Amino acid sequence: MNDSMQDLAEKALDLTRELGADEAKVSLSRASHVELDQREGRLEKSNEAVTQGLTLTLMVDSRYSSHSTSDLRPDALRKFVSRAVDATRVLEPDPDYRQLPLDQMGQHPLDQLDLVDATGAREPKAREDIVAGLEEAVLSRKKENLISATTYLWESSSSSLVLFSNGFVGQASSTQYGLGGEVTLSEADGKRPEASAFFSARHLEDLPNIDAVADEIWSRSDETVGGSATQSDRYTLLLANRSVGRILGAALSPLSGASIWQGRSLYVDKLGERIGSEALSVYDEPLIPRAHGSRAFDKDGLRPKSRAVIKEGVLQTWLLDAYHSRKLDRDVTGGGLNNIIVPVGNRSWKEILKDHDQAIRVTSFLGGNSNPTSGDFSFGIRGQLYRNGERIQNVVEMNVAGNILDLLERFQEAADDPWMYSSYRVPSLVFEGIQFSGS
Amino acid sequence: MNQALTGPSLALDLPNGAYFERFGIGQEVLQKVLSAALAMGADDCDLYFEHRLSTSVALTDGKVNRASTGVDLGLGVRSRKGDAIGYSYTEDLSLEAMLSAARTAAGIAAGGETRTIAPLSALELPNYYPIDHRWEQVEMAERLPLLRRWEEGAFAADSRIQKVQAYLMDSERTILVVRPDGRIAQDYQPMAMGYVVCTAEENGVRESASYNVASRSGLELFKDEARNERMVEQAVARTTFLLGAGKPPAGEMPVVMAPGASGILLHEAVGHGLEADFNRKGVSIFSTQMNQKVAPDFVTVVDDGTIESTRGAVNTDDEGNATEKTVLIEEGVLKSYLHDEISAQHYGVAPTGSGRRESFRHAPMPRMRATYMESGPHDPEEIIRSVKRGIYCSSFANGQVQIGAGDFAFYMRQGYLIEDGKLTQPIKDVNIIGSGPAALADVQMVGTDMELDEGGWTCGKEGQGVPVSQGQPTVKVGSLVVGGIGQ
Repeated sequence: MNDSMQDLAEKALDLTRELGADEAKVSLSRASHVELDQREGRLEKSNEAVTQGLTLTLMVDSRYSSHSTSDLRPDALRKFVSRAVDATRVLEPDPDYRQLPLDQMGQHPLDQLDLVDATGAREPKAREDIVAGLEEAVLSRKKENLISATTYLWESSSSSLVLFSNGFVGQASSTQYGLGGEVTLSEADGKRPEASAFFSARHLEDLPNIDAVADEIWSRSDETVGGSATQSDRYTLLLANRSVGRILGAALSPLSGASIWQGRSLYVDKLGERIGSEALSVYDEPLIPRAHGSRAFDKDGLRPKSRAVIKEGVLQTWLLDAYHSRKLDRDVTGGGLNNIIVPVGNRSWKEILKDHDQAIRVTSFLGGNSNPTSGDFSFGIRGQLYRNGERIQNVVEMNVAGNILDLLERFQEAADDPWMYSSYRVPSLVFEGIQFSGS
Repeated sequence: MNQALTGPSLALDLPNGAYFERFGIGQEVLQKVLSAALAMGADDCDLYFEHRLSTSVALTDGKVNRASTGVDLGLGVRSRKGDAIGYSYTEDLSLEAMLSAARTAAGIAAGGETRTIAPLSALELPNYYPIDHRWEQVEMAERLPLLRRWEEGAFAADSRIQKVQAYLMDSERTILVVRPDGRIAQDYQPMAMGYVVCTAEENGVRESASYNVASRSGLELFKDEARNERMVEQAVARTTFLLGAGKPPAGEMPVVMAPGASGILLHEAVGHGLEADFNRKGVSIFSTQMNQKVAPDFVTVVDDGTIESTRGAVNTDDEGNATEKTVLIEEGVLKSYLHDEISAQHYGVAPTGSGRRESFRHAPMPRMRATYMESGPHDPEEIIRSVKRGIYCSSFANGQVQIGAGDFAFYMRQGYLIEDGKLTQPIKDVNIIGSGPAALADVQMVGTDMELDEGGWTCGKEGQGVPVSQGQPTVKVGSLVVGGIGQ
């Protein structure tokens, strides 16, 4: 965070006061990013930019609005704030949008989160060498049916400053480094299935090396080619660690304060109730060093805390921001999830599958959706069919369907392989007797 | 001093392509930035200026109590060397920042002859989205009564409705595309969307659903009372429908799609696979099928950027090329891909005006506009009567495709079982999956009733979302995998 950002944010906050706002929050962010795509032995695409933006939330005569702009010229900023204040005045009052009292706000020490890799900066040539090296590593494992291979490198650095009119000041900064690739293969029937693997980390040293990435891409291609649908039936569902977020996200998103308040949630009457198997616990851990979802403060200026979301099958909390906590007349708990944790088991997923007559390991999804009000879901899947731990075939063109509450009740155990490359730091999860549709 | 741009304007009251003069962008500046983008030996480049103003107003709990606005301003610079791309952008329109972005993009070229820049001249564009007033001229207070009326209409329509939320979202985007061959294309692109969400409860069952109407229009879109009433009626009807709906069985079965939004089938199963960047790289399942029979004779599929006021309409694409109606599949034969300039050059054909981008932060690539199947020979009722056991899909939420494998999926929000040629049990919330080429070949009947859906569809590709339209007549596919429950 530099002085010019501080000055600009303070100026915007001063303008809101001058132009008549009772409360305001100013967020100013600046970021740089680089993306490189490599294909056929050369750089195919290079994208590099520095970006900036300002967002503003206002309370004017108990009326609320939010605004954003990338036009930070001084005269444009004044016009922007003026229009924002004027637009807010014509709305209807809703005082529940007001800020939290200052004594409820706070920030976790940024240095303890270790979200910035100060040593990770690389020269352009070094980046180009890495993405080219990854392509070489992928092609060195070349299979006869390879049509196309593309490798990717990306990195970004961002910082932001948040000023609340009640005096709270929050700062955040982070870096992110990524590496990945995809291959397209030919099959006899004319299909050209793709396989890909992408990894990202806050610190460069937490990324796998290019050989490990190349191996993973080809390993996933083995899990993809030659797939077909198997018969419709109930199977054990093993959600591969990297794909857990899709279904766990569908299960957790109806916990938001907005969903609860609007009645668009299957959890409206479930707080403190059992909603899943006693074997299932889900935690939100916002303060893990170097983790993707870690943060020092949330959008309300609340210092995040570790919390159980589901403990031994019982729903422990809704996700209430300041506004919805007032609407629901409950304590504010924090409106978003940070790092999702499911306790790790003590067996590998391969060991677990030996105990199951027929299981489908789901490694990716295709389409699908869920109904947050009823909990019904239906997703297209790709994966592999296993019988007693033996891989029988790859499966494609199949769906998995059911209801979230029934799914959570059918949870059996977690494997020992937490995924470390997203905010879902969750191992492979096993659910018994889940409906799949296929041939 | 900057010189004013010359040429005709379609930005209503704005003089001759000069919109970006307010930001200090004139001929002299453009020449300098173009020169920087070509300085390292690039074959070609484009400058893409964008100024976007957006507003969203929301009604919740009986009050219009929330609004948001956005201003987005910037320049994207793309330099090309063959089919390799250097891209950079800046939100700072100072000459220094623009030159810096151009030099960054130019770095994709490793040397070569420096291309000369032709005198700049504004293109005359058609106008596929005439409007009465620019959104910038609409006061916030003018928007509010609409939301209240939509809410009142929903509560009055059915006593089971417990909660209503209503949204009005609008934007105007002015773009300026500048090319070293002298072309300048300036376009004013409005967008409007009304959106009503209802929650209903009956006998302890609670459900929510929504309906939206979207168009490249001004506020006049919602001065059509019939449209307002339809939007509210549909939001209520779709919500109460779910209260009595069940799940279909699981497995393969015939699928009949209602006219309109079922165009999502085309979008996912066919449209993405015909975007020429995927074919140029050989990663699309359609990359070896040009001029081959891919569907029955009664299937003709079109992607059209010229249909007035649709979300997919564009007066110019984002590379400054004229848009058009592109016939992709004609009487079952694959006739064209969707091209941007890079793929058109690769295939030796003219661009189809399909080079689109989400914003100045992104490079353009081939994208759909309004994709639809033309009407066929079959009576829609006859199509339903032809099915012994299957499902009828009437509303949709989202879809996805795997380009190379050709596998696609779409999510049916509402529909009916078909039993012995009749619509019977209402059903809901099911994913339907299949192989694109197989489904296309297995289109068994096409109705006479093509409709273009009026909803606010956004297509996502490689992290970029662009507004699109889609449509289809009633269509029967012989077999798809339905993600229901039980046998």
